[in-house]
Amino acid sequence: MPHLAPLLRVARRLTFDNTAAEDLVQETMLLAWRGFHQFQPGTNARAWLFRILFNAFYGEGRRSRKASGTLPGSAVVEGFTCQEIGEILNIPIGTVMSRLSRARQELRKTLAPLAKEAYR
Amino acid sequence: MTDDELDQRVRASILAEELDTARLEHSIRERIRRPRVARWALATAASIALVIAGGLAYRAFFQPTPLICVAAARDHNYEIVNGAPREWLSDPAAILSLVAQQGVPSTAIAALATIGYRLEGGRLCSLNKQIFLHLTYSKDDLELSVYLRPGGPQSPVDRAVHEASVGTEDLAYFQTDRLTAVFVAEHSPAEALAFARAADRVL
Repeated sequence: MPHLAPLLRVARRLTFDNTAAEDLVQETMLLAWRGFHQFQPGTNARAWLFRILFNAFYGEGRRSRKASGTLPGSAVVEGFTCQEIGEILNIPIGTVMSRLSRARQELRKTLAPLAKEAYR
Repeated sequence: MTDDELDQRVRASILAEELDTARLEHSIRERIRRPRVARWALATAASIALVIAGGLAYRAFFQPTPLICVAAARDHNYEIVNGAPREWLSDPAAILSLVAQQGVPSTAIAALATIGYRLEGGRLCSLNKQIFLHLTYSKDDLELSVYLRPGGPQSPVDRAVHEASVGTEDLAYFQTDRLTAVFVAEHSPAEALAFARAADRVL
C-alpha cells in the first residue's frame, strides 16, 4: 500500500499519539478508497492522500487550522515542495515559506542549548 | 548550519523512527473488505424498530378501550342503572324471536340461561351506529347487560376474554368468528368477567 509510511509519520506529528495516528491513517485510506472516483488520474496521488489526511484531522471543526503552523515542517521531511504543501494545506506559497522559516528558527532555538552542551 | 543541513538532519531523525506499517496495512485491508452498511439504512432500521417497540409497548400498557365497549357502558348506565323508560320484551318466546331475527344463534340464549343467570328482558339498541341485541340478566341482586351482535372481526379472531372499565361500569368482552359479545355490570368487575368467561365456554 503506497505512501502509508509517510502518512503515518505525519499523522504522528499531528496527533502526538501512536494509536490516534494509526486511526487517522486508517480513516484517510478508507476515505481515499471510498472517494477514489474523485481522484483525477495523472495528478499527484501523494498530495491527494495528504490532503485527505489533513481534512480528516481538521474535520468536524474540532481542531483549529491555526495550529497548522508546524505542519509545513513535517511535509518538508516527506519531500514535498513548498508548492505541494501550499496545495495540500490550501494556503499561499508565501505563507508556507514563512511558516517553514519560523519552524526552522524555533528548532534552532530549541536545539541551541543542547548543541552548546554537546560541544563542552 | 544551513537550512538544507537542518532539514536533512530533521529528515534523517524522523525517517529513523520505527513504523509498523504491515499491521496498519492489514487493518486497513480488513476494514475495506468489511461490507459497509449505509448509515441511512441503519437509521431507517432503528427508526422502524423504535416505532414497532413503541406500538407494542403502547398496546401492552395502554390498550385503548374499544369504542363499542364505551358505548355499551353508557347504554347500560343510562337504561339499566338509571332506569330510562324503554320498552323491553320480557316474554322468553318474544325474546327468542327477536334473537332469531337478528341472526344470533338461539342456542346462545339457552346456553346463557344454564349457567345461573336469569334472562329478564331484551330489546334492540344502537351502539356506535351498529345494531346490537341487548339482553338483561339477573343473578341474585345484580343486573347485567349482554350485548350481542352476529359476525366477528375481519381480522383473525382473538378468542381471549378482555376486561375494561368505563366510569362506574365494568366490562368484559370477546369475539368469535360468529359473534361479538359485551358484558356489563356496575361496580362488579368480577361478575362481568365471570359471566363473560362462562358465556365464552358455551357460545
